[in-house]
Amino acid sequence: MVSSYFLYPLSDEGEQIVRQQGSLENLFLEDKDLMDLVIHTKSQNISNDSYIPKSLAEYTLKRVEWYVRKKYDKEYEHNDYAFLLNPELEIYDVISFYIAAQSIGINFNPNSRESRVFIESQGQLIQERLETLSKTLREETIAKLLNQLIAADNLHWTSLAELLGSKKINLSHLIIDKGQIILDKKDFLDRFEHKIEDRIPEKMYDILIGDKIKELIVNRMIMQNTENYISKVHEMVSNVEAHPSLIQIGAKISKTLTENYSYSSNQGGDIKASKFQVEAFPPCIQNTMDGVSAGNRNDAIVLLMTSFLSYARLYPSVFKNKADLKISDLDKGLKITTTEILPLIYEAAQNCNPPLFEDDPQEKLNITAKLGFGVHETPELDKEGESKWYTPMSCEKIKIHLPVLCQPDENCKKIGNPLSYYNLKKWLMKQSMTNQQTENTKKSEGN
Amino acid sequence: MNKREFGFDHLGRGPNDRYRVFKNSDLLRKFLRYRAPFAVYSSVAFYKKPWKRGEWLKSELVFDVDAKDLPVRSCNCDSVCEICLDEALQIVGSIIDVLKEDLGLKNVHVIYSGRGYHIRVLDPAAMQLNSEVRSQILKYVSGAFNPKNRYYMESLPGQKPYELEHFTIPVGYSAVFTDRIKYIILHLTGEEEIDQINPRLLKDVMQNRHFLEEEKWGLFKNKIGPRRYKNLVDGIAKLNLGLVDAKVSIDLKRILRLPTSLHSKVSMKCMKVDNIENFDPLKEAVPKFVRERKEF
Ligand code: SF4
Ligand SMILES: [Zn+2]
Repeated sequence: MVSSYFLYPLSDEGEQIVRQQGSLENLFLEDKDLMDLVIHTKSQNISNDSYIPKSLAEYTLKRVEWYVRKKYDKEYEHNDYAFLLNPELEIYDVISFYIAAQSIGINFNPNSRESRVFIESQGQLIQERLETLSKTLREETIAKLLNQLIAADNLHWTSLAELLGSKKINLSHLIIDKGQIILDKKDFLDRFEHKIEDRIPEKMYDILIGDKIKELIVNRMIMQNTENYISKVHEMVSNVEAHPSLIQIGAKISKTLTENYSYSSNQGGDIKASKFQVEAFPPCIQNTMDGVSAGNRNDAIVLLMTSFLSYARLYPSVFKNKADLKISDLDKGLKITTTEILPLIYEAAQNCNPPLFEDDPQEKLNITAKLGFGVHETPELDKEGESKWYTPMSCEKIKIHLPVLCQPDENCKKIGNPLSYYNLKKWLMKQSMTNQQTENTKKSEGN
Repeated sequence: MNKREFGFDHLGRGPNDRYRVFKNSDLLRKFLRYRAPFAVYSSVAFYKKPWKRGEWLKSELVFDVDAKDLPVRSCNCDSVCEICLDEALQIVGSIIDVLKEDLGLKNVHVIYSGRGYHIRVLDPAAMQLNSEVRSQILKYVSGAFNPKNRYYMESLPGQKPYELEHFTIPVGYSAVFTDRIKYIILHLTGEEEIDQINPRLLKDVMQNRHFLEEEKWGLFKNKIGPRRYKNLVDGIAKLNLGLVDAKVSIDLKRILRLPTSLHSKVSMKCMKVDNIENFDPLKEAVPKFVRERKEF
């Protein structure tokens, strides 16, 4: 049996453990018991000393490092981190969860990538820890957690509004009837048996719902609670003095991320960042450059242009690469941002009718915010992370929010995002250039 | 009422006078008599300080189905007519079904807007939802994306998925999607130009759509062929996004035409529809003075 706090550190039990045993004094001290447990974890790789966390602080960093490496590093090996699934380490794990969450809340914004990575890593850990259990044990554990997380027997879908609103769950993945989320087999059969004709209703239940919807809800709720906890810590920071150890660990977490990200972004792929090629912009962007009238103006500049131009110039492979980068990872002194990207955004803003900043100077701050630098007049390095670097809007979103700008051409059929359009068109343009060149060489050879 | 923002159109070019607040309907009536605006609007939102749209409390959940903008219409009129208004009403009916039967929402009202319908939901559970959730609901009720068709029994890696097409799943979003696809296919005129659906595919769809009247989806899909079937439903899914004006649904601060006021461009009354089964806008929403004018 695993304790529920091994999966859900914010549970009452988890909190109690931390209150009784968590201390910030010995974070960096070598802990023999911890090392012993790690070394004796089944299939744990011990060939290199660096695989073994020697203190609580190191364990905390390993937790984060595991997740980024798993996600982005092709050479990732599970056995380097096997101890993270070992329930004998549960007490260490709970305490390290609080250390990480507090360090992040103290040092970074709830929107920062440090927060996001940590929240995601918790979700992934729950998933993998569940997978080590037998089917019955797994079901029992989930049932117990669900009970802790949801007070009522009946789950109305609107009680998941927070998870839906932060896109942790999609409405269409749930089976909902008269407002209730259907989780229980008997309940499912009572309601739907008569509708299911060509298949065995029990099997239909297993396929559509089974245990996985419960697991999904539990998992996402714990992620949401983690997020809320970080926000709470963050709000309190200004009132209380933060412990120096936590500040130190926050910095180390950040470093772990940067190291592992640069690793992944160096692998680059075939989409390289380069100077703007305006001819390769998709119709919606060209239209925006030409100027947009009131009504659509604000969204077109602040949401569409800002995200498109910044990613097109700095990180065109974002959807392929998936590494969660900041602008300064790609543009260290913000030179490109201030001399190439912002001027183009401002130009588009000026072309609007009426010019955007004339009656809405506030929008300048919102543009800075969408670049990840908080609500300020211009981007400044020390403000980075106060907001999130907004990823390029998808065509679907553009069609909803800015339908007048979308005038699809042939290439639009092949893509789902203006940024992919840009990459495709750049490639096509290069292709036709080389073709022409070979044509030309052929011709001259023929002569 | 005193938590809503009101807006007026004094010049006939859209609302130009906003941020108005009225303590009660008497004061509003007086204002209307005195200023006689072209149109009257009120916010879907409730605020603590409506005079500056400050401290948002909650907003109605709204779906705007405009007869003129329906992606598929059997009439070819250039604005609205009996036929497309009726089709809009059918769509409204099926959206309301999903809102009530699936999502369990209560307090759902329909307003005839002058050129289509507004569904306005005042269920407290829905009024707190943010734009993202509203956009998910919108896509759910309008069938705006193809549901996944691969399902895994356990979340264990490495196992083979079950392939289930939307029409074999009679519950949840898949069922809604099937319903919307069927509606569109049966209402095609054969003249449409739809992304991902070339003229030959469209022709084959027209030829075989009678299978859907008897719910013979498997046969229909076989006739079309699996690859083209995917193109077909993907294409229609995109079209479905246009059934409802998405901007209205996700905008928490929008103002909408006030029921019982007049739509000045079409000279029809904006009014509450009590029974959508037998509502006839051309009879009920034409104000008396217009009817008289016509008769003379
Ligand atoms: S399809 Fe996409 S890329 Fe093309 S114009 Fe529309 S929004 Fe832009
Ligand atoms: Zn018509």
